[in-house]
Amino acid sequence: MLSTQERIQVAQVWDLIAGHEASFGAELLLRLFTVYPSTKSYFKHLGFCPDETQLLTHGQRMLEAVGVAVQHMDNLRAALSPLADLHAQVLRVDPSNFPLLIQCFQVVLASHLQGEFTVEMQAAWDKFLTGVAVVLTEKYR
Amino acid sequence: MVHLTAEEKSAVTALWSKVKVDEVGGEALGRLLVVYPWTQRFFDSFGDLSSPNAIMSNPKVKAHGKKVLNSFSDGLKNLDNLKGTFAKLSELHCDQLHVDPENFKLLGNVLVCVLARHFGKEFTPQVQGAFQKVVTGVANALAHKYH
Repeated sequence: MLSTQERIQVAQVWDLIAGHEASFGAELLLRLFTVYPSTKSYFKHLGFCPDETQLLTHGQRMLEAVGVAVQHMDNLRAALSPLADLHAQVLRVDPSNFPLLIQCFQVVLASHLQGEFTVEMQAAWDKFLTGVAVVLTEKYR
Repeated sequence: MVHLTAEEKSAVTALWSKVKVDEVGGEALGRLLVVYPWTQRFFDSFGDLSSPNAIMSNPKVKAHGKKVLNSFSDGLKNLDNLKGTFAKLSELHCDQLHVDPENFKLLGNVLVCVLARHFGKEFTPQVQGAFQKVVTGVANALAHKYH
């Protein structure tokens, strides 16, 4: 699905995120909740105004999962199977929310990388994250 | 109608005053065509769209991007009446250009990413929120006259 060039782009960007999963994830969630408040309906355990600690904790968890996906680009289905089960059986996040998260992910990348955020990176990451979303919602029915 | 708070309105105006409309338009359209290649279907007459480099440096892409963004800029001056402001353009996109309105949402999202790229930390979650509301409003206005 991803070409060789696209895999390189994904890995290169991940190298910039690795080690900063918590802060990246926290900003991702903050943007998601600020820009698309309805997404908070999936996080009622965090309350209406999640604090920084909560965002960092959950953000780290989410970004670590992205890291797993990056390490297993060739076999997302197997690597993300437990997470796919979780989303299908427990979380049941409506699939329409994944593009919202992906948009916020791109904005975090763009605002941090700025001049280094090439169009090739944007294209590769959009394709990659969309693929992850497909796998996470595949067992819904 | 777009419902922006007073803070959101002033954030949008302040940021937009620093935007190089000519460049940002071309970049946004170029990125749309690269990231979502099926959108190229509307631009058969644009010449070489064979690679990201070709697209980003294509003069027709830049010119058209500039045109699109100047239009968008007009919208920003009329946030209380986006449907009226874009009525004619909406008819054009439906009757002549036959553009699926989904493409307006895609371009709006790409534009937000381009703004984030240019403005970095200044493009806070609140500023992003304000701009996402604006691009959604413009996309809806452009779809309004479809029949």
